[in-house]
Amino acid sequence: MTTYTVYRTVCGVHYMTPGTNNHELFENLRLELRRGSLVLAVLAALRKEHYGYTLRKTLSEQGMAIDEGTLYPLLRRLESHGLLVSEWREEDKRNKRFYKLSADGKEMLKQLLTEWQGINSSLNGML
Amino acid sequence: MDLVDRYVRAVSKGLPEEQREDITRELSEDIRSEMEDRQREMGRELTEAEQEAVLKQRGNPLLLAARYRQDQRSVAFGGQIIGPVLFPFYIKVLSFNLGLTFLVVAIIFTALAVSGQKVGFNYIVSTCLLQLFIQLSVVTLIFALVERHLTKHPDRWHVKGMGGKFRLDLNIERDIQLRIGSNRREVSRFESLSIIVACAVAIGWMTAVQNFPILILGPAAAFLKLAPIWYQIYFPIAALTALEIVRAIINLVRPDWVRFRSYYGVFVQAAGLVIVYFLIKAGHWVEAANSGASGAVNFARTVEIINQVFLYALVGTAVFSGVMILIRVMRLVRQPHGHNGPAGVGARAKEGN
Repeated sequence: MTTYTVYRTVCGVHYMTPGTNNHELFENLRLELRRGSLVLAVLAALRKEHYGYTLRKTLSEQGMAIDEGTLYPLLRRLESHGLLVSEWREEDKRNKRFYKLSADGKEMLKQLLTEWQGINSSLNGML
Repeated sequence: MDLVDRYVRAVSKGLPEEQREDITRELSEDIRSEMEDRQREMGRELTEAEQEAVLKQRGNPLLLAARYRQDQRSVAFGGQIIGPVLFPFYIKVLSFNLGLTFLVVAIIFTALAVSGQKVGFNYIVSTCLLQLFIQLSVVTLIFALVERHLTKHPDRWHVKGMGGKFRLDLNIERDIQLRIGSNRREVSRFESLSIIVACAVAIGWMTAVQNFPILILGPAAAFLKLAPIWYQIYFPIAALTALEIVRAIINLVRPDWVRFRSYYGVFVQAAGLVIVYFLIKAGHWVEAANSGASGAVNFARTVEIINQVFLYALVGTAVFSGVMILIRVMRLVRQPHGHNGPAGVGARAKEGN
């Protein structure tokens, strides 16, 4: 994408939503950007075993706050694709569902990291 | 049942059945872990208000449940009328209504066929299509209104559990203390509005039936008519329905008058039982439309069968109403006095309104 195209895109978005507050627009675009990184963040965090709440806490502490209404459906989706494995275990007298990467999940994480690093260096080149 | 259980139960109603137990266990565990964390930070147990705040942060149970569903079907006509959140409930209600309607139509046509009447294929198709259209329109309209309400006010949600109802009134504008308890302490405004609309529609329909018995008899209106007893009890039924509208309006203004609604419910049910008694006493509920000798002979068997069905339905209704009155009276007797109603002024004063 050339600088001109990026500029036109940003201006076009601004024109298309004439009444939109810039802060609101920033929040929407920021959410889109973060949403795209969520899967990678979750897979990376699950290199170590977690149950739902500790996973949420870990992501939040790393600056990737995510609400449970997004996280748990995502975990189920990833598990249905065979990227995660889970089991119910008792801890502190309560039953908790622990997640960790499957073999396929580890492979997928490696590929996604490579892709991420590629995007990162492209962007760094542009910016 | 504690607050977390009630909230999770409300979420579970919208979850896909095959994953329901799994998701509710995990969600319950997540909420409890968060509450424990906060307790550790504060060094004490969370108050009820603090627990409610944790649940409120989780959001509307319906919206939360929708995020677990793969099925994102909706009803749209130009714009979206019924979204993915309400769509599963819409389908359930529509299926139930249509199933019941077609069952009734099937019973009527079977009765006609058994009594030797010729029932044309066109008649059957046109009746089914008419009923389909009516049910589809009414149910879709109601759900479209609920969808609109949900879209405009996603934070105004009520968590109701089964058996032991819990209410979490998050009317942010009023910002009153949140009411929780094993018994309902407030009549939902949405419920009151729904009753007003439903009763108004019912009165309109009952009035229309007086002049257009086809609305209740269907194709059988060509050779059957309603017995005089229906015209005699029209005003008592319409008056009771109008009083129910008045009651709902009162509860709209005073949602904390729960006991008033309970007393009123007993009165209405008792009055309804009296009406059913007079209906049963009438002895017959449909007649041959053609009052001439030939009409009476041709349709005698049909009239007999349909009147038999009416008798069973009315007796069943009387028994059911009697049982419901007893249950309501027992509940009222067991409920502590001064607990929501015109006498509950003290409770209202605590709101600081």
